[in-house]
Amino acid sequence: MAEKILDVQGLETQFKTPDGIVHAVNGVSITLDEGETLGLVGESGCGKSVSMLSILRLIQSPPGQIVAGKAFFKGKDLLAMSNEEIRQVRGGQISMIFQDPMTSLNPVMNIGKQMAEPMLLHLGITPKEARERSIKLLESVGIPRAGERLKDYPHQYSGGMRQRVMIAMALSCNPQILIADEPTTALDVTIQAQIVDLVIRLRQELGMAIIWITHDLGVAASIANRIAVMYGGFIIEEASVRELYAHPTHPYTLGLLNSLPQIQRKGRQRLYSIEGMPPILLQTPRACPFAPRCRWVREKCWQQNPMLESIGDNHKVACWVDTTTGSER
Amino acid sequence: MTNYIIRRLLLVPVLLIGVTLIIFGMLQLLGPVERSALYVRDFPKNEKQIEGLIRKYGLDKSFFEQYWRWLNGVIDPGSGERQGGILYGDFGYSRTASQPVVDLVKERFPNTVDLALWTVYPMLSVGVWLGVKAAVNQNKFIDQAARMYSIIGTSFPTFVFGLLILMLLYAKLGWFMPGKMSDWVSKLIFSGQLKQYTHLLTIDALLNLRFDVFWDAMRHMIMPIITLSYINWATFVRVTRSSMLETLRQDYVVTARAKGLKENDVINKHARPNAMLPVVTMAGGSIVGLLGGVVITETVFNYPGIGKASADAAANLDVVTILGLAIFSGTILILSNLIVDIVYAFIDPRVRLA
Repeated sequence: MAEKILDVQGLETQFKTPDGIVHAVNGVSITLDEGETLGLVGESGCGKSVSMLSILRLIQSPPGQIVAGKAFFKGKDLLAMSNEEIRQVRGGQISMIFQDPMTSLNPVMNIGKQMAEPMLLHLGITPKEARERSIKLLESVGIPRAGERLKDYPHQYSGGMRQRVMIAMALSCNPQILIADEPTTALDVTIQAQIVDLVIRLRQELGMAIIWITHDLGVAASIANRIAVMYGGFIIEEASVRELYAHPTHPYTLGLLNSLPQIQRKGRQRLYSIEGMPPILLQTPRACPFAPRCRWVREKCWQQNPMLESIGDNHKVACWVDTTTGSER
Repeated sequence: MTNYIIRRLLLVPVLLIGVTLIIFGMLQLLGPVERSALYVRDFPKNEKQIEGLIRKYGLDKSFFEQYWRWLNGVIDPGSGERQGGILYGDFGYSRTASQPVVDLVKERFPNTVDLALWTVYPMLSVGVWLGVKAAVNQNKFIDQAARMYSIIGTSFPTFVFGLLILMLLYAKLGWFMPGKMSDWVSKLIFSGQLKQYTHLLTIDALLNLRFDVFWDAMRHMIMPIITLSYINWATFVRVTRSSMLETLRQDYVVTARAKGLKENDVINKHARPNAMLPVVTMAGGSIVGLLGGVVITETVFNYPGIGKASADAAANLDVVTILGLAIFSGTILILSNLIVDIVYAFIDPRVRLA
């Protein structure tokens, strides 16, 4: 088995708001092997992005606060590092790309300067070398005339191009982990496919591990080896891609997969949707967070939140009910 | 970039015509007799003579005809001399200053520029620095203090603050004094021993290597500088702080942190340049205010600049002087806005390349 490169244990992140404490991430544990791609799936506000931002300690604080947990990166706890140490990791060994390429680049600094920054910081190279490397990187992500375009500003690039720049920048210091926070959400579908293909190609070339955050199960299936589904700040199901799509077990995962539009579906059938609203994360959750929307809900679900437990080969689920049989576990 | 500047420059004459039209339009609210003050120094008492004046200068003609006469002046058929005509630099005779308005501006404007010159730097640097500090340390002590200060600064009027400063630093301690210069300096200038290269006293003093003169000029200016800085800091701190807070929430700031940049670099290289746009607009406005004459401050400290001249003219109902100074301030405003637009283009590539 490959070496574990990232081992997150019991991560909890909260936000203090005027309405009370929002429990955004409630004890997330996740591991990542070297060279592996993990898809982190869930609806908006379920804590996917917050948990990943927490690992790099990029949560705005205040109001955000990491209250518990450990995140071991190559044996060292990222959450216990000094500010200086975590800065060395950020952008160097673990880098990130973000959801909205339109706002993720500094509008008043040209692309060349923005690209060079992490390299000058982590690789210890000269500005001239950084420039040459930037050109190579931009060419490898498919930006033509890269040399000339270095002095251009973000507004002179299209959305897809900016995301390519972000990817090139994130990979510039040969990171061991790339965290991609919904990098295709803000792009249109053809560009999405291009970006996914680009990342798959670069993964083959560079061999970094990837955590791909998305709410698009289709995209997750095309890129990930393993998928973790999040709901209400918890991971509620985790399995290899093949296993998850073949045997989805958690009621929420089932609902998600059912609500995908399918091309062979006939007639004027309505698209399936999960009843109810996503949970409000203001109270400390004692019950299963999905209970209010669940078809299989039992008395027990209201009293105790199920833990993530193994139910087979590389398949973990947090549910009191075995949805294949309908009986309690 | 060149295109952008040319486009802005082409707008200047159009704006100037607009300014003169509006100011001349306001003049039409006066009767023809008062308007004749634009052309003559001494007002005739005789009714017949007044009638003659009105006819001579066409003060009973249509608005546009009068406007044109005002711009171009009127040739006296007898002597062949041109009278009036702002296009030829004749803005009339200032009764309050006992000299032509143009000479008044020439004499007073350097003083106003001198004051503005020494106020701009402390005003901008300290204001922006404090605003950024407050935003970065939101809700901490320095932020609370800066916010408190900006409330006091905006609500505590200049003339009260100015008078307090005057009482403390001049009357009580005697460190600094009002006015523009000591007698010995004016004698020095009058006798031609201090060469006037720029007519800005501080600069001329430095160019003549007369540091004693420079120090004397500074002692006269420090109180107005303090007063003007005090009032402007309040707004600069507030605007910089809120703009900076807004910027610190932007995605590219998170990107900059995710690159592993030091927090100082995140703030100074990524956040602050983006937060400067509204501050530049404000700074443009403040500098216009300083150059157009700071009426209250100059009056309180008896500083002989454009602002004091306006105040004197207004107190004596000297229409001609007020008109001339209004056109002058309007021109300064237009030129300053031009400069602000160009500075904008330097800061924000989106403006430059649009």
